[in-house]
Amino acid sequence: MIQMHNVFMSYQPESSALADINLKIPKGDFVFLTGQSGAGKSTLLKLVYADLTPTRGQVLIDGVNLTRLSRSQIPLLRRSIGVVFQDYKLLPNRTVLENVAITLEVLGWGKRDIGKKVFHILKRMGLEDKVNATPLRLSGGEQQRVALARALVNDPKILVADEPTGNLDDENKEAILSIFKEANNRGTTVVVATHDRRVIENSHRTVIRLDKGRIVEVPDVQG
Amino acid sequence: MSKANKGAVRPKLEQEGFFGRLSYFSSRAVANLRQNVFVSAVTVGTIALALLIASLFLLVYVNLDGMAQGWSDKVQVTAYFDQEPAPLAVAALKGRVQAIPGTAKVIFVSQAEAEKRLRSRLKGQESLLEGITQEVLPASLEIRLDREHRDNESVAAYVRKLKQIQGISEVQYGEEWVQRFNSFMNLFRLMGGLLGAFLTITVLFIVSNTIKLTIYARKDELELLGLVGATRFFIKAPFLIEGVLQGAAGAVISLLALLACYYTFLKNAGDFLGINPASAGLSFLPATHLAGIVAGGVLLGFIGSATSLKRFINV
Repeated sequence: MIQMHNVFMSYQPESSALADINLKIPKGDFVFLTGQSGAGKSTLLKLVYADLTPTRGQVLIDGVNLTRLSRSQIPLLRRSIGVVFQDYKLLPNRTVLENVAITLEVLGWGKRDIGKKVFHILKRMGLEDKVNATPLRLSGGEQQRVALARALVNDPKILVADEPTGNLDDENKEAILSIFKEANNRGTTVVVATHDRRVIENSHRTVIRLDKGRIVEVPDVQG
Repeated sequence: MSKANKGAVRPKLEQEGFFGRLSYFSSRAVANLRQNVFVSAVTVGTIALALLIASLFLLVYVNLDGMAQGWSDKVQVTAYFDQEPAPLAVAALKGRVQAIPGTAKVIFVSQAEAEKRLRSRLKGQESLLEGITQEVLPASLEIRLDREHRDNESVAAYVRKLKQIQGISEVQYGEEWVQRFNSFMNLFRLMGGLLGAFLTITVLFIVSNTIKLTIYARKDELELLGLVGATRFFIKAPFLIEGVLQGAAGAVISLLALLACYYTFLKNAGDFLGINPASAGLSFLPATHLAGIVAGGVLLGFIGSATSLKRFINV
């Protein structure tokens, strides 16, 4: 479960990226985070995977207060959260297999098991014939699916995605969304930040709307 | 919801334990070197060039120091006797001198031997020796000091102790020469030390900045590893091993280049320049110095990587 209590976040003293955020996302839920550019969507996601620490307030994942985590505990938290970045963050000089394998290498998996698991997820993503390609040789949709494979390969408890459909055509958007749904059906809590209204409208899921760093619409806020 | 995912179960612990982890980090480091060939080559090249300059300096310094040490062998103390000691007393006197700290070698020169030496030196000018008998020339002890006792103060202290031995009337040791020689050696070592220090700082600066740039080029990789849950150690270890490998490779290349320079130019520097800087020509660096250069390369790579990584790891 993801909880935020009175969260404020400022990059500079005079302006706040997030103000008085209170939300509760239950385990296994699928939530869209929406709002204009600069509304605070990416900042909110970064708070979830502890890339940022709130200026004020508490962020809790499964009851663990992230603001009280020591530096050595943060990696352990991140291993249970899959992240799909807006710019994919694929390593250009590593193959698709190596890019996805990173997540499992960090967990200390053996080479053979990594190979099996990565091939399995790439097959699920329809990328089994791109295993040895480098990201620069892939289309935008394929790169996004590699990023998704990397985020999902260790079956994370939470998946957060920042504008995952931003640069994709309708067909690829559909493919990506169905992967999110599949992950959610397997028990992963999914939080997707997007400003693509069509994606939200067709999904029939919970929507949290942000405006200038504040939540303006959330159907089930339980502070 | 009860269907909540508990994360994938890790099936095997192949990388558990020291050797398992070391093997993983080493293979990752080698793979990184292969995937970043150009950047790695630039680092290795910079380390090799920097160490080549430093080792060339060391080669010249070691040879000059060796030459200077050779000259210091001329620091010799001669103790003259009032009267030639009896043959039985000579051994006892030599023993007493030998017991003074700093004595390397003692030779007894009898009056007869002194006369013989003088005659051989003045061969062809025997008329000058008319009227000179053995009795005019005093018997003496020629003493060579060990290297640690050839500086001004040590020689003066040695001479004071020598004068306390009964029967010794006068001691000569070329005071002025010793002082000049030691002043030269002090200046030489000071200049060598200063140049060496500047060179070391320059090498450190160039190498650490090159490594910093190469790590900066891979900052996305460092960031990503942190975001997928890698610990600081997990992120740093392959980079540190890479640094060590690059440092070692740079050092070996620099030594090969030094060897090539030595055999092409320096070994025969005497013929090449028309003068011979040392009577036996320049000698190559001793094995301890070569091992030191390789260790220096490894240390450079390691420290350069460690300090640069600090700036780019946010975990």
